[in-house]
Amino acid sequence: MSGRPLLPEEVPLVLEDARPVELAPPRPPATLGEWIRGNLFSSPFNTVLTVVAGVVIALGGYGVLRWIFVSADWQVVKANLRVFMIGRFPLEETWRIWASAYLAVFLAGLSVGVTGIGVRRTAAGAARWLILGGLVVYALIFLLDGLRVWVSIAAGAALLGIGIAVGRAGGRSLRIPLAIGWIASFLLVILLLRGFGGVPPRLWGGFVLNLVVAVVGISLSFPAGVLLALGRRSSLPVIRFFSIGVIEIVRGVPLVTLLIFGQFVLPLLLPSGVRLAPILRALVMITIFAAAYVAEIVRGGLQGIHHGQYEAARALGLPATRMMLLIILPQALRNTIPAMIGQFISLFKDTSLIAVLGLNDLLDVSRNAPRLEFSGDVKEALLAAALLFWIVAYSMSRWSQRLERRLGVGER
Amino acid sequence: MSEPEARGGALETADDIIVAQDVKKWFGRFQALRGVSTTIRRGEVVVVIGPSGSGKSTLIRCINRLERHDAGMIAVDGIELTDDIRDIHRIRSEIGMVFQSFNLFPHLTVQQNITLAPRNVRGVPKATADEKARELLERVGIPEQAAKYPAQLSGGQQQRVAIARALAMEPKIMLFDEPTSALDPEMIKEVLDVMAELAGTGMTMIVVTHEIGFAKAVADRVLFFDEGSIVEESPPDRFFTEPQNERSQRFLSQIL
Repeated sequence: MSGRPLLPEEVPLVLEDARPVELAPPRPPATLGEWIRGNLFSSPFNTVLTVVAGVVIALGGYGVLRWIFVSADWQVVKANLRVFMIGRFPLEETWRIWASAYLAVFLAGLSVGVTGIGVRRTAAGAARWLILGGLVVYALIFLLDGLRVWVSIAAGAALLGIGIAVGRAGGRSLRIPLAIGWIASFLLVILLLRGFGGVPPRLWGGFVLNLVVAVVGISLSFPAGVLLALGRRSSLPVIRFFSIGVIEIVRGVPLVTLLIFGQFVLPLLLPSGVRLAPILRALVMITIFAAAYVAEIVRGGLQGIHHGQYEAARALGLPATRMMLLIILPQALRNTIPAMIGQFISLFKDTSLIAVLGLNDLLDVSRNAPRLEFSGDVKEALLAAALLFWIVAYSMSRWSQRLERRLGVGER
Repeated sequence: MSEPEARGGALETADDIIVAQDVKKWFGRFQALRGVSTTIRRGEVVVVIGPSGSGKSTLIRCINRLERHDAGMIAVDGIELTDDIRDIHRIRSEIGMVFQSFNLFPHLTVQQNITLAPRNVRGVPKATADEKARELLERVGIPEQAAKYPAQLSGGQQQRVAIARALAMEPKIMLFDEPTSALDPEMIKEVLDVMAELAGTGMTMIVVTHEIGFAKAVADRVLFFDEGSIVEESPPDRFFTEPQNERSQRFLSQIL
């Protein structure tokens, strides 16, 4: 071919591409040495950074590990474990908590089995689970005394396994029974904790209290937030201004302020004769707080929906409610999953703020319980509390990532 | 399809399915429709052409109340369009609409897109609706795509699904708002073929389009819009060969 570029009419018309399929040349996998040289010591500046960072990590890591395994006295956690988990909940009534936990664990297993979330198996994943599981078992061996607790925990693990197996076997046909099961479990748990001469809320405490407040708060703030978001876009001025008012006022006030407001002012607003326990007052405020943020997240999701979706739904004769439920919200909510789970993780962590109100949540008991026998040294207790929070929050975040991946596949 | 006759004003007879009288519409200070009057008879295929911004889309969007007209009167199948929401729902379920940008529901499969309205508006049982959806997909030539999501289809296939979705409600009238303008050239024909087939079944159709070939072959009547009014209204063979109005002559010289 000459060096002159071809005119359009001179370009040969290729009807069938006869060129052999050419593969990209294989790139040899980098050895460890190459990777280290390429990524850590590629330039003088990078070398300095690597050395400095290495020294800092080594010193810091040594200090932390030394404290954890040598200096720290974990007896404080072991001795107070029950208080950390359930606060002042009466010992002879703990079966109520176990039963509730079993119910939740079984339903969770079913959900995992039905949705197929978490079935991905790789060698690296298996190794990670082995290490994690080993650490948990190691910690439990140190923390737990007595056959009864072990049997109870093993029963929970077994129920989880059974739930997953049943869920997988049942597949999608179980989806509606499962949804009903989750809603019914709410009432069942309340009945289990309060019914048959149960335990009044003022005795609820420890990590169980954080979990209960978080679960109820999330379950109520989500629908409330969706309603507020829709209200903010309503064509009826009363509803619109009410929604805007709630959202903007609540978002402008610190949660602690709201919680204190709930304790002292909320009772004055209620009709006389209606008395809410402090825990319920805290729950109301946490729910309203989260709902305002959820509403703004949902509003963002709604703004991402093209107006053509509304027009198509209207042109088919769909009434407004069905249009929202069947067309608009499913799309809008799916787009908000990352932000929504982030909001719920933050709600879960915020449950520790109820310690300010004198409620005996995990933060409160881990600060105060050790003082009695362990001369006020609470570092170990606080670290254990932080670890518990982290485990739950991190699980939520991982679950959110899997959910996103599943819902995104092939649908947009 | 019957031969178009001389239009008898706005007098409504049993044969007239859409009557528009002096319809006016403003967007802010811009007047999109400046008193449009026309009558569409049952089984008639009307092609609406005109420059962009001339009000042609606005008129058909007023007919199923995606836009509210500000003055004048529109009646569809004997029901006048007012603010009464029940009348609006009734009229909308009689009218199928196909959009330029398809507007399929991306979170639902093709099958679910088609069965959604029959099941939720008309209360058709699932099995019946599914059967109907299969028939319609067969009719628009893509029976094998039922389980896919819209994003997995080509533009032409999506638009054919949109036509099937509208037909699932068994409408008396079909509105097409530039149905091929967003399509790649090689996909336009497959959509026009489906529309021509539909016209052959006696469906009343109003089609906003720039596809002159389609208008010549299928339309009973051409409405030419300019600046919010119907400037010329005649059968396609006459409109495209000897346009009467000076503005339609100019428009045709630009696009042909």
